[in-house]
Amino acid sequence: MSRDELTASEREELAALDRILAREPVGEQHLELAALVDSVRAGAPRMDPAFAERLDARLAAPGKRRSRAGARVARPAIPRLALAGSGLVAAAVAFTIVISSGLLSGGTTHPPAPASSPALGILPRKAPGAAASPTGTTSGPLASGGVASGTAVAIVPSTNFSGSKSLSARLVHRDSTLTLATPPASMQRVANRIVAATEQRGGVVQSSNVAIQGPASRASFSLAVPTGRLGSLIAALSTLASVRALNQNTNDITSSYNVEQARLADNVAARAALLKQLATAATATQQAGIQKQLNGLEARIAAEHRDLGRLLGQGRTATLHVTVVAGASAKHAKAAAGPFTTAFHRALHALEEILAIALVVLAIVLPFALTALALWWGATAVRQRARERAMRTA
Amino acid sequence: MTVIAAVPTSGPGAGEQFEQLYRSSAADVYAYVASLLRDRTAAEDVTALAFERAFRRRALFDMRRGTPRSWLFAIARNAALDELRKRRRTGALLHEIADPSNELEDLDSDLAERRLLVREGLASLEPRDREVILLKFVGRLSNAELARVLRCSESNAGTRLHRAIERLREVCGVTR
Repeated sequence: MSRDELTASEREELAALDRILAREPVGEQHLELAALVDSVRAGAPRMDPAFAERLDARLAAPGKRRSRAGARVARPAIPRLALAGSGLVAAAVAFTIVISSGLLSGGTTHPPAPASSPALGILPRKAPGAAASPTGTTSGPLASGGVASGTAVAIVPSTNFSGSKSLSARLVHRDSTLTLATPPASMQRVANRIVAATEQRGGVVQSSNVAIQGPASRASFSLAVPTGRLGSLIAALSTLASVRALNQNTNDITSSYNVEQARLADNVAARAALLKQLATAATATQQAGIQKQLNGLEARIAAEHRDLGRLLGQGRTATLHVTVVAGASAKHAKAAAGPFTTAFHRALHALEEILAIALVVLAIVLPFALTALALWWGATAVRQRARERAMRTA
Repeated sequence: MTVIAAVPTSGPGAGEQFEQLYRSSAADVYAYVASLLRDRTAAEDVTALAFERAFRRRALFDMRRGTPRSWLFAIARNAALDELRKRRRTGALLHEIADPSNELEDLDSDLAERRLLVREGLASLEPRDREVILLKFVGRLSNAELARVLRCSESNAGTRLHRAIERLREVCGVTR
């Protein structure tokens, strides 16, 4: 039998007690209990009539009279206010986070960030042992955000090719392909703006082909632009029409440059040595032989100068191949979708935003709420324990 | 008695029902609190506080978690225990309830003697036993209500009650 289990007679007595308290008749065996109840009840303190009147008045207008007890009762409003305030702050923080993260703008329509405008396509050299890929390719729609040129730095190499020092930074050639789509009616306008944007950034149109033939209209451009302005140009062109594809290639030509430069330095040194020999040559035959070697060296040195210039030019100038095809731009596609579809998409987008905000709010509020709940639960338990202790020591 | 001026929006613990609760239990709540505190002034404050709290929280009352009477007595009990804690901290003096012996003068001597004996016996009980007796005899709570106020199971409340009655009988020298 557990501690809480009562015997049948004990249960019967408790049932009789309930009947006594309900003023119902009980058997003779419970008259003693009835007398006990009567004695306890008769000895209980009675409310003073004056206090009864005061209590009536106090409760008739509970808001008017603020006793010290009333003041204590009003206290629970503070946590509620704090909770509401915390909720508002969390919502504001979440809204700010969502706005700053670009979720509200859909997150897919950002134009690429302009490049950091390096003077040349020269990237910092990696630490020894670091595996540096000589070439790199980035492709995809502009949603990928930004372009690789964002990591380029402005390091101007020496233009004195005769020096023997190699480049302390990487020399990179950048080659990109951009495919745009625009309605046939806008083809000429887009083509004109591509040229204008290129020239505006100090670039040149190396070749172009614009064919206006209705739905089969097509334009292609081969552009050369200072490497540091490639990102800016791509960003500008991306605003002219819908971007279908973007492909970006980087080719590390540092080693080629260094090899050429080393070879040039060797040849320059050889030429100096030959010139000394020529000055001390005793016979005409010797002089003719040395002169012949010098001529060959001069030709090689000139070729190496040209190669170095070409490599440096590749690092300095990026190429961008732009193809414009006829097709409905995103804006036109939206217009063609009809008002209901557009409204549906907008509603869906609004729901996404609301969900994003709700998730962020939840992520912020949940830890606080759980902590507050645990604190409240702990405080309640401690208070209740203190009350029970007060009862034991009363 | 014009008790509650405010009209409740909804809920079983509000409005006329609250007034009814007040009418039917104010004297019992006071008797219970005064017996616990043994201080008339403090008992009056705590009784008023308990009803004010109950009135303010009437919208939170949930019938599924107990009867209005048990809810009210639980509030009164918490308020009384808070008062006991405060008194212990501050060392406040008791304003003992006046000796009611003079009330017994008009009674039959046997009855008067018995009541006096029970009163003294009750006062000598452990506080936890005295409380359960008061809640049952004065508060007239059912065992389920008793369990709710004491935060224990109904069977545990029944056991505690029965043991308290046995101890009261014992200290009063009552035989069955």
